Amino acid sequence: MSVQYRFGTTIAPITCHAWNKNKNQIAISPNNQEVHIYEKSGSEWKIIDNLSQHDLRVLGIDWAPNTNRIVTCSADRNAYVWNQDSNKKWKPTLVLLRINRAATCVKWSPDENKFAVGSGARLVSVCYFESENDWWVSKHIKKPLRSTVTTLDWHPNNSLLVVGSTDFKVRVFSAHIKDIEKNPEPTPWGSKTTLGTLLAEFSNSGGSSGGGWVQSVSFSPDGNKICWVAHDSTINVADASTGNATFKLRTEFLPFMSCTWITNNSIVAAGHSCIPVLFHHTENGLVYSAKLDTSQKKESGGLSAMKMFHSLDKQARSESSDTSIHSIHQNAITCICLYSGTKSNCMKFSTSGLDGLLVIWDINSLERAIQGLKII
Amino acid sequence: MILLEINNRLVEETLTLKIKNAQAGLKNESIDVTVADFDGVLYHISNVNGDKSKIRVSIALKFYKELQEHGADELLKREYGSFLTSPEDNFNVSLVLNLEDIPKNWPEVVKKFGLLKRNCFASVFEKYFDFQEKGDEGQKRAVINYRDDETLYVEAKSDRVTVVFSTRFRDENDVVIGKVFMQELKEGLRASHTAPPVLFSHREPPRELQNTNAVVDNNVGYVTFVLFPRHTARNTRDNTINLIHMFRHYLHYHIKCSKAYIHSRMRAKTSEFLKVLNRARPENKTTDKKTITGRTFIRRD
Amino acid sequence: MSATLKPYLSAVRHTLTAAMCLEDFSSQRVERHNKPEVEVRSNKELLLTPVVISRNDKERVLIESSINSVRISISVKQADEIEKILCKKFMRFMMMRAENFIVLRRKPVDGYDISFLITNFHTEQMYKHKLVDFVINFMEEIDKEISEMKLAVNARARIVSEEFLKRF
Repeated sequence: MSVQYRFGTTIAPITCHAWNKNKNQIAISPNNQEVHIYEKSGSEWKIIDNLSQHDLRVLGIDWAPNTNRIVTCSADRNAYVWNQDSNKKWKPTLVLLRINRAATCVKWSPDENKFAVGSGARLVSVCYFESENDWWVSKHIKKPLRSTVTTLDWHPNNSLLVVGSTDFKVRVFSAHIKDIEKNPEPTPWGSKTTLGTLLAEFSNSGGSSGGGWVQSVSFSPDGNKICWVAHDSTINVADASTGNATFKLRTEFLPFMSCTWITNNSIVAAGHSCIPVLFHHTENGLVYSAKLDTSQKKESGGLSAMKMFHSLDKQARSESSDTSIHSIHQNAITCICLYSGTKSNCMKFSTSGLDGLLVIWDINSLERAIQGLKII
Repeated sequence: MILLEINNRLVEETLTLKIKNAQAGLKNESIDVTVADFDGVLYHISNVNGDKSKIRVSIALKFYKELQEHGADELLKREYGSFLTSPEDNFNVSLVLNLEDIPKNWPEVVKKFGLLKRNCFASVFEKYFDFQEKGDEGQKRAVINYRDDETLYVEAKSDRVTVVFSTRFRDENDVVIGKVFMQELKEGLRASHTAPPVLFSHREPPRELQNTNAVVDNNVGYVTFVLFPRHTARNTRDNTINLIHMFRHYLHYHIKCSKAYIHSRMRAKTSEFLKVLNRARPENKTTDKKTITGRTFIRRD
Repeated sequence: MSATLKPYLSAVRHTLTAAMCLEDFSSQRVERHNKPEVEVRSNKELLLTPVVISRNDKERVLIESSINSVRISISVKQADEIEKILCKKFMRFMMMRAENFIVLRRKPVDGYDISFLITNFHTEQMYKHKLVDFVINFMEEIDKEISEMKLAVNARARIVSEEFLKRF
């Protein structure tokens, strides 16, 4: 149903993770300025490289599967594109982000010819490679962003960008770079293609009912819908094909930190409740489907005298078992990545969180194991 | 140890050792010891003019002049008689013990030497106890400034002697703890029928002392003991004096003890809280520990 | 546990669980800085509505949350003068050890006796549910400890005065 991994002996949180194309390598940041590349050998993960170029905490990693490039961004205001040299070592190239606050999130576009970086400077840098100068340059999307950009995602057509920020807003922008690519086909979101055009704006504050900063956004596989999760424990879907109709679902869970579509109608979200949760979106609206973590309370093993004295001494407690909560992840989940399949037909996805654990969830076996669970 | 000792143990022990050495025929060594006691009292134990066989015990009290007014000299003459000598410079009273002529009852003498301070104090009490006995009400109140800004007042009436201590608490917390103690003292009468009534007033001096120069201050407390003839009678007065003159120290000692106890409890509780906080820390997965020979230590739990 | 303590603590526990959903957040004002927003209050978008939970007029908890930090201020029961100084002493004692008690704020928020400042760095190093447990445990124990200390002082005072008066 689910496979758990821990990298090295560290118990530090995993800030974010990203897979390579074959899913035999993973890039993770252990909550500091480094990015570690692990390779699977047998059932073990072996560290094969350490990307240490940032000097403050790494906040975003994305691995372009086809061009095999890694982009990282960090609180030190920089982003680097990493390429493998002939010795299979990763070498950084600095990106000219032209920002003066933390770079908070980064995503390659589907065609992998550009990527977008969100930042605390209230803007999004859309970066592309300028071959005559041999470096990565950026164009800014500024208006009308009013606060730190926390999350972004690309439309499958490689030109639209959805952006969530701490001003409680989700916005869809055109991120078309006319210098390097052809005009895209029009979409239900609009036909304007100039970089920075605001095509849609959704507010996550419903008048008197409060609101919250946006934690994660995701374009549906067909590109017509976006979903976002916010700090007010809601999950939301906006559908451009039905005139930007929005659905908001208030959940009983603690706020979600990350969400992604796993089919064109199903969303997985996870966050402070430490469990991934499945939601469905149909014409009738947005509904809660199931918790994907069905762990029961763990049986505590026998209590050795050694252990007992250890916990008495360090923690003033005589029983040793009650450290854990009833889920696989023991602390907030911060990142969801697709592991196998695509957004339209995801088979496995991976989650990582503050407990330093990486878990791979197999949707098919979950569907069999959880009564009433149906992926649509 | 609930009650404080009224004698000075150091003086006693020093003298006892000297006498025992002398009796054992050992050579007398020279001595020069300064000992502190309550109320800023200093004892000085030394040899007279370098004569190692003569040990002089001197005492310095800042308020000896006030005690003299109430007959301290007479009382000391009565108690110490031939041991008295002319006071050493900077000291108020000096006693001499001759090691070449040790009195037979030396343990008692040593004890008496140790009570020198108590006996200095006793004069004022004895005097007013006598007034009460005689029914002499006309005497003015005795005022002894026994410490900087702490004063003792003694007054005789025909049916009672009132003893008032003014005492200064170092900080507000002491005042509060002091009040708890005083409250219990007030109620303590129920525990013992022979005890004198105790009154306590915080900040304001009691009625008897109004219109005097008694201090009014938030950190000052007044404790009044009303001593009845049963306390001042000849056969009980020594005991009463012993208790009364140490009262101030008794009170402050126990306030300090309470604070020390509170402190130790806080320390214990704080470390317990830290342990509870430790429960939140994930336990580090086993890191390799090497023994001194370089072998890997494996904990089996 | 008295009838009102349980619901009080359970309200605090649930509020804390919700308020302690923190994440890393770099300063919007100063580059390369990362400061607890609940303290710097640079942008009201990043602050949540503060919540006060009171058991009675003396015992209450103020929970102020923000995107990357939460401040919990506790007002401890002080029925009389002696409890007041015991509380003051105890809180001072603990705050002087704030560096060991990494989640303790060195000064309480005005109107409260003790404040905790929990940031995302703490929730990253420690289990969040255990941090909540710690705060609740603290609230339970502190009342108990103060009344026990008060009893101890009273008991000592009684013995001391009885012992003294008995000798007359």
